[in-house]
Amino acid sequence: MRPAVATAVLGVALAVAAPTTWVLTRPAATAGAPVQQSLGAPSSPEAASAEPGDLFTVTARPAAPATAEQRPVPVRLTVPERGVDAVIDAVGVQPDGQMTLPADVDRVGWYRFGPEPGADGSAVIAGHVDDRVQGLGAMAPLREAEVGDEIVVTGSAGTATRWRVVSRELIQKQALPLERLFAREGPPRLTLITCGGPFLPEIGSYRDNVVVVAEPLP
Amino acid sequence: MSLIRTSLRATGAVGAVGALVLLATPATAADTATVSILHGVPATPVDVYANGERLIDDFQPGTLTDPQQLPAGSYDLALYPADAPDASGAPLLSANGVTVPAGANVTVVAHLTADGKPALTPFVNDTSAVPAGQARATVRHTAAAPAVDVRAGGAVVVPGLENPKEASLTVPAGTVSADVVLAGTSTVAIGPADLTLSEGTTTIVYAWGSQEAGFKLAVQTISGGHSAPAGVPGGTAGLMDDSSLPLPVAALSLAGLIAAGAGVLRLARSRG
Repeated sequence: MRPAVATAVLGVALAVAAPTTWVLTRPAATAGAPVQQSLGAPSSPEAASAEPGDLFTVTARPAAPATAEQRPVPVRLTVPERGVDAVIDAVGVQPDGQMTLPADVDRVGWYRFGPEPGADGSAVIAGHVDDRVQGLGAMAPLREAEVGDEIVVTGSAGTATRWRVVSRELIQKQALPLERLFAREGPPRLTLITCGGPFLPEIGSYRDNVVVVAEPLP
Repeated sequence: MSLIRTSLRATGAVGAVGALVLLATPATAADTATVSILHGVPATPVDVYANGERLIDDFQPGTLTDPQQLPAGSYDLALYPADAPDASGAPLLSANGVTVPAGANVTVVAHLTADGKPALTPFVNDTSAVPAGQARATVRHTAAAPAVDVRAGGAVVVPGLENPKEASLTVPAGTVSADVVLAGTSTVAIGPADLTLSEGTTTIVYAWGSQEAGFKLAVQTISGGHSAPAGVPGGTAGLMDDSSLPLPVAALSLAGLIAAGAGVLRLARSRG
């Protein structure tokens, strides 16, 4: 009789404790300040414009066609605390208008039409969280990023920019503040994006994006 | 969009400017307009006056001013030889009542007409947003030449463009090799030149000059017309699915339930 009671009690305890522990130990959906807040206030283009009516400070420059200046591009992303270490490809947009991501889930993509890391605005680096054939991607640990995690982005010239995570948020794809995430004005920010949240088998993708925003470290 | 017809009065020994059409863009700034000025009359440095005040000193052919925020309204523009001491004499070229609508982005171009006479033409620049990854390319014929075809990579992209007309295309951002040929021929008048069409910009290319002074290209780039991508894809396998219990956790929980069930069953039997 005693062993039977013990088995029943332990069994119930296990049945309840396993999922409870799982729920309690998984990372929270958000960490730090809301992403929108960390990206800085949207800048007002009118406020930046010069005083109207200032007729006498006109400067003129040669208008001959000039070759585009080369700017440094980021080539490697590391988040030591999370074990992220990935090569960065410069990417653009797909025909459907979505940001292009490297097909190789071990690589991540930098949105080359936006700012480079360290320039004004939000530099976006994104990657696949996983792939049916390749398994987990380089960005998979992103959903465990915590405030204070350090991020290092190495540039093509060998120089590195260092960043500190200030926000992590799970945002439904339809509600993504795209204009803010891809802002080309405002304080320098590094924005890392991958997929997360519930997987929707009917459309073969995730419902949400994991968005991590970091501020520059001196 | 309202249509404003502005007539420019030609004065002095040279210059005949016809009626011009200004197309006002939707107002963004309440009462200012963005104005740039391009000098496309060969070999003639000038001073530019607006409403009787000197706006630009010693303005050289082939140069473009930085965009200026000016109060919207009507301007009397006059160009004098660069060595004229003031605006008291006869101007080389003038245009009175040039309307600058609030919120518009305008480029006023001093250039030659198709038959070689100086003229002032205000163009309204389309600064509306282009899709992510794209650029707007605008070509303007302001050279003393008949109709031209504009080619990119050897293929005609703008056929039969006449002075002082313009044409715009929205194209993938990048660098194109462009040249200008006499319309319907392969006689190259300008180029080829590599043009950088930066993403999210309006890049305006002016053909200017004359047969005697040479034909050239001038480029004006207006940024701020970019759009964000439509979204960020990110995974196809569901390995990081957040909605359901991971299999090992569910199995452990189920094992607990079975053990509890077995215990209860044994308890019931031993009592019965």
